[in-house]
Amino acid sequence: MDTSWLLYALNLAYALATLGLTTLGLAVVFGLLGVMNMAHGEFVMLGAYAVVIVQSWGWPIATAMPLAMLVCGVLGYAVERWLIRPLYARPFDTLLATWGLAMVMRKTVEAVYGRGYRNIESTLSAPIDLGGVQYPGYRLALIALAVVLMVCLALWYRRSTMGLRVRAMTGNPVLAQALGIDTRRLASQTFVIGVVLAGAAGVLLAPLVRIEPGIGVDYLLDSFFVLVVGGLGTLGGFGGGVGVIGGTQSVVSSIAGQTSGYAVVLILSILFLWLKPNGLFGRR
Amino acid sequence: MDSLDAVDAPRVAVPQAPTRSWRRPAAGPCLFGAGLLALPFVSNDFVAYQIALFLIYGIATQGVALCWGRLGFLPLGHALFFGLGAYLAGGLLKAAQQQPAWFAALPLALLLPAALAYGAARLVFARSHRSGPFFSLITLAMTMLGFLAAQQWSTVTGGFNGMADIPELPGTERYSTFYWAVAACALGSTLLLTGVLRRPLGLLWSALAQNEERLQLFGYATDRIKAVAFAFSAMLAALAGALFAMHQGIVTPLTMGFVLSTEFVIWAAVGGKASPLGALLGAVFVGYASSELRDHFAYWEVMVGVIFIAVVRFLPDGLAGLGGRFSARAEEVPQAHKTPAPDVKAQGAGVSLAFEQVESAQGGVRILDGLTFELQGPGLRCVIGPNGAGKTSAFNVMTGRLPLRAGRIWLDGADVSGASAWRMARQGVGRKLQIPSVFPGLSVSQNLDIALWAGRLRPAASLQKAPLGWDSALRGELLALFPALGKQLGAAAGSLSQGERQALEFVMTMLPQPRLVLLDEPCAGLSPAETHHMIEAIKTATGRLGAAALVIEHDISAVAAIGGDVYVLHQGKLLARGRLAQIQADPAVRAVYAGARK
Repeated sequence: MDTSWLLYALNLAYALATLGLTTLGLAVVFGLLGVMNMAHGEFVMLGAYAVVIVQSWGWPIATAMPLAMLVCGVLGYAVERWLIRPLYARPFDTLLATWGLAMVMRKTVEAVYGRGYRNIESTLSAPIDLGGVQYPGYRLALIALAVVLMVCLALWYRRSTMGLRVRAMTGNPVLAQALGIDTRRLASQTFVIGVVLAGAAGVLLAPLVRIEPGIGVDYLLDSFFVLVVGGLGTLGGFGGGVGVIGGTQSVVSSIAGQTSGYAVVLILSILFLWLKPNGLFGRR
Repeated sequence: MDSLDAVDAPRVAVPQAPTRSWRRPAAGPCLFGAGLLALPFVSNDFVAYQIALFLIYGIATQGVALCWGRLGFLPLGHALFFGLGAYLAGGLLKAAQQQPAWFAALPLALLLPAALAYGAARLVFARSHRSGPFFSLITLAMTMLGFLAAQQWSTVTGGFNGMADIPELPGTERYSTFYWAVAACALGSTLLLTGVLRRPLGLLWSALAQNEERLQLFGYATDRIKAVAFAFSAMLAALAGALFAMHQGIVTPLTMGFVLSTEFVIWAAVGGKASPLGALLGAVFVGYASSELRDHFAYWEVMVGVIFIAVVRFLPDGLAGLGGRFSARAEEVPQAHKTPAPDVKAQGAGVSLAFEQVESAQGGVRILDGLTFELQGPGLRCVIGPNGAGKTSAFNVMTGRLPLRAGRIWLDGADVSGASAWRMARQGVGRKLQIPSVFPGLSVSQNLDIALWAGRLRPAASLQKAPLGWDSALRGELLALFPALGKQLGAAAGSLSQGERQALEFVMTMLPQPRLVLLDEPCAGLSPAETHHMIEAIKTATGRLGAAALVIEHDISAVAAIGGDVYVLHQGKLLARGRLAQIQADPAVRAVYAGARK
């Protein structure tokens, strides 16, 4: 009874960690730049495919991380430069253009690697004994990593000079420019950071999920709901959104089934979008 | 409009290249109708059957294009209404096999989705007119809920396998004659939409997308206009869904899915979101080509994605915008005979306004701090005060732009505290904004029409041609005051100079014949001569209407020229009130302006 409680807490922590990991990139891109990046999920998908590719080449799995980060970074830079930058003033068009991008990425992967599911063979899931509970080690590592990544991002945002400049840019872009901040370059860097985070999340999740070209949509929508509920551009909002969405989903799912969990998340999101569009801790 | 029609005339007379004839508004639908008629004869029944599917999708795409291309909000979840229409029609047709009385309920397949859309849109849009992107996401989430429901509620919907064995529409054969029913619906919806766009309602839709706030300040309840348009577009989607059920004989949860919603948007974008025919043809060509090529050519959908990106990036009006310059075309409305506009609803003689301890704050900053003043009867008054005194905010709190935290506002003895912009306008309060606010994409004459319709256009009249020819004596008099406007009636309002825009917005503010006018720096950016002219115009127009006016003004010589009482605001309170000479002698006012003490 004691141990089942622990198992339950671990599952919840794991659910929150994966949700947080996949949302992190969009929190940067949508929360800080205001770009509704509909291709966010596809960057996660690319990260997962990096693992598939590395494995098919026979390279060590760890090399997937730099590969995914490189690919996502270069692609992200090009996308920001030629697709997003001309559309910053047109939010609907950004949404649609990135949607088109998502389609291109998804269909390209589909055309090259086929529609089928892929699994990663990994030895990482050996269970670890934790106070009487057997829990997969990789999941534990993931929870720890998610916490570390979030702390790092929080420190970057709050303490680093780049974080300061980003905050200046989101607060008042014109004034930031007048103070000598190259907001164009900064926006480009921020976008790249966001999609690289998405790709990295894909690599980390690859051993745990079934990989297929269409997985991006779910990650995208979950991330959107997190940010909508939590509010954009604040760490509190991010944490709150992950807590509310992830918590609701895993609690309701464990009681009434996965579909109900998802339905409750959808209803919750609709209510927030309708009644509290700035979220729990909205910046504006 | 005169000039545009004149430009059109020779084009009608000289029919040469086919692209030319597209410029005639009826030419597109006529060609389209001819094409629909010819299709089964030039090809075969099977091709017609397949094309019918994409005509069906095209009707739903027209609904998406209406909201997105005309009203400026993007519905991401139209598959919900498509799917609802399909399930309802399918269910009713199956029920009618047992009990023919159910046929009578078939219109419900259209009306229920439309009612759902209306309710959702009213609830969301009533809260804020800036809810566009949120609304898109709400429609998306609603579709996904619908998808879940369709999948789970298997006793009714047949679950994942779908609702099968839906009978044909009586009198038609699925693989042959049903094509004609679909073709008739597609042509009908195209003609209907093209027609509505050329009526006052179509013009109001365009105006709403360009400057919703201005429309509210004329007394148009924009949230209702948007909700009605959304319901109408949902009804088109539901009609498409109902046809789909009859065409396919099976309805699965995929008809309610996210993917179909996105395809509607893509087809609308590629075909042309501003053009009903463009959107429909976008669905037919892209959809049909996809169904043919998807299996033969692995990179086909990658290509569609690339085309979609290119359209979003470079062709905001899609291929229709490229081919026929439809967007400019559709803004154009037919000319109607000049008729006098009906009178504005008579409002009580005289006017009185009172602010009573009004407080307002935003973002923790106190803007109005117990503002109290009153005015009685017609005539001009000036409002002065240093920057940040709360002059514009006093107007804003009256027209629902700022929240009222405490206090009351009385108009003719009625409590109007916290009323929305359009309700205030309907009470006879006109407002001109500090930065001239017009409908930039519409012509000067269309801008004036919309102002003239304010308070006069009944819902039924918004679908008639007559209001396009409405004229009022005041319109002529005001245009005589600003001859430069009268000469540019056909020009886009966005191309006017600052001074001309000030004049246009002023004329528009007066056209609904308000009893109380709030003019926010009407002389800003004008030369001394223009300022003088504007002040004379304000005096003439308000005198003619017997209206009261509050004019915010910084230039003391202009204040002197306007005359009347002067209200001095400072730090969100009324500091002094009186004739200009008294005010200038008031030590407190002198202190504020000369900086003796803060």
